[in-house]
Amino acid sequence: MLKNYLNLAWRILGRRKFFTFISLFGISFTLGILMVVLSFLQSELGTNSPLSNKDSFVYIQQTSLQRTYYDTIPTIDTIFEKDQILYDTTYTYKESGTGVSQSSLSNSIIETYLKDLPSASNMTKFMPGNLQDVYVNGIKLSLNILLSDANYWSIFDHKIIEGRSFGEEEVESGTPVIVISTETAMNYFGRKENVVNEEMFINGITYKVIGLYPNNGKIISYVSPDAVSPYTSMVSSRKKEFYFGPFNVMYLAKPNSIKQLKSDIKAVAGTVPLDHPDNKYDYKEVIFQPETYNEMYAEGIYYDGGDAEKSLSIMKLVLICLFLFFTILPTLNLINLNVSRIMDRSSEIGVRKAFGAHQGNIITQFIVENIVQTLLGSLIGFLIAWILIQIINNGGYLGNSVLSFNLKFFVYSILATLLFGVLSGFVPAYKMSKLQIVDALKENKL
Amino acid sequence: MIKLNNITKVYRTKTIETTALNEIDLHVPKGEFLSIMGPSGCGKSTLLNIMGLLDEPSGGTIQVDGQTISKYTSKATAQFRNKKLGFIFQSFHLIPDLNVIDNVELPLLYRKISKKDRREMASKALESVGLANRKQHFPNQLSGGQKQRVAIARAIVGNPTIILADEPTGNLDSVMGDEVIEILTKLNKENNTTIVMVTHDERMAMKTDRLIRLYDGSQIA
Repeated sequence: MLKNYLNLAWRILGRRKFFTFISLFGISFTLGILMVVLSFLQSELGTNSPLSNKDSFVYIQQTSLQRTYYDTIPTIDTIFEKDQILYDTTYTYKESGTGVSQSSLSNSIIETYLKDLPSASNMTKFMPGNLQDVYVNGIKLSLNILLSDANYWSIFDHKIIEGRSFGEEEVESGTPVIVISTETAMNYFGRKENVVNEEMFINGITYKVIGLYPNNGKIISYVSPDAVSPYTSMVSSRKKEFYFGPFNVMYLAKPNSIKQLKSDIKAVAGTVPLDHPDNKYDYKEVIFQPETYNEMYAEGIYYDGGDAEKSLSIMKLVLICLFLFFTILPTLNLINLNVSRIMDRSSEIGVRKAFGAHQGNIITQFIVENIVQTLLGSLIGFLIAWILIQIINNGGYLGNSVLSFNLKFFVYSILATLLFGVLSGFVPAYKMSKLQIVDALKENKL
Repeated sequence: MIKLNNITKVYRTKTIETTALNEIDLHVPKGEFLSIMGPSGCGKSTLLNIMGLLDEPSGGTIQVDGQTISKYTSKATAQFRNKKLGFIFQSFHLIPDLNVIDNVELPLLYRKISKKDRREMASKALESVGLANRKQHFPNQLSGGQKQRVAIARAIVGNPTIILADEPTGNLDSVMGDEVIEILTKLNKENNTTIVMVTHDERMAMKTDRLIRLYDGSQIA
């Protein structure tokens, strides 16, 4: 019987070409685009190299120093007394707002207060956004060089495909060594391999290339730098201050300790002294704003007064709404098409019932038709996604982002579309299967 | 074979009540070729639909092949229709998405019969109506007479004991109409199939064993 239903479903698809085209186009195009979008999100926010530990990351970008401003407000009253104007002035001293100074963290703050927190298993400090111009055969090449400590390599797990990363001794001694990305190797040396022990001349210093890692195409600069070198290898022109400096900090929280670590970091801020000579503006409070990787990412897209958790919630909500929008519309369309398709075949239902089909036969027939159609649409969607991903990767339309096909999502999508297919077929089929045979035959659309 | 006792059919709306059939008593013995005539709207098709268990009467009882019918939507009634009854409609009611042989096979889909046997039975039915060479055609590739012969093949493929034909020649010219009646008569004579046919055509009705006439929902002859 099932074979008959499948056979019939296949014939119906072939015979009703326009309807089949519209349905398959809706299913496959929606699924294809969703899979490409998800591949991008997976590539950017997924737990893959160098972000395999991403879900345990807690990030501090800056120190905030806060103070309260006070204003003296004069109030002048005028009084008429004996044909004379008298003035009575009152002075009020009250809060008029708060002022905040923010900047990256200083080495002294990190080493004295932020190191060795009990809820963190590891920590790295690094200076992001360090752009250096280098010249290759007279052509300028701008490199985003990340200056970091040795821990950077154990927190961000770049795959070293040639050579090695640098260690603590090289950081302590300020050895001019550098680990570069394959793209940098290509741009600087004209090849993507055999670059270890080569030299690069950067900012007046000759660096020895000791390692090579593949480009990962992430947007965040410290995750996807062009090169990484010990922070001690480059002399910072920045004046050394107690509160502010050039560093960001990334922690690796111990298992299930993200909240604790955030709270530890916030608490540590209260122990930073305010009577240091660098506190020239009488700041009254030191604030650290720890955030998870996803919160940091969300804040980059939607900043909400420093409330990273709210930014993440809003980003998630927007993504869910977009997902629903792009899935519900085609689903409703599919349901609508199925309803009209089944209604249009009421005479056929009448004939089938007249010749012995019972309600279950009718419902099963239409559901099988929907399942065949949905599966076919999903397969075409799979092909569309695969082709788009190849085009995007080969053409480099998303920078260095390398999209990969997400099979898990594909399976989930098929299950979801199958569910919609079954439901969208079941409701009208059930309704029509209950139709009196004479009423169905009266439609006379055969 | 078919016994109708005191059958009535009333259509009710909020404001009006229309009696389509009024206390019909009818007995169609096995092997009879009965025709029903009457003016449009007199209840001929309604009566045929009730005999074929396609519609429920408002009152009265029906016995078909010795079985009293009470539930019209049950699986058992569907199976009963499948095995005992065959239908021929004025407007053929062939499924346009299926080719001729698949249309003829339709009643057999709801029985436990292998595909090979189904094909054989459908081919024989098509041969018996002279359409063995049209198996792979689709309904829209056939003439009216050919469509009705496919519909007859579909009605007889499962060897039903009763065939109910609702104006089977109504959409055909006289030559094709004669061909259809010839096939039905042959079926009746050779297979002893009971046939009840609704018709407007006196000439066709005269070729059957018995003729009853309806007027305003009542049997007048």
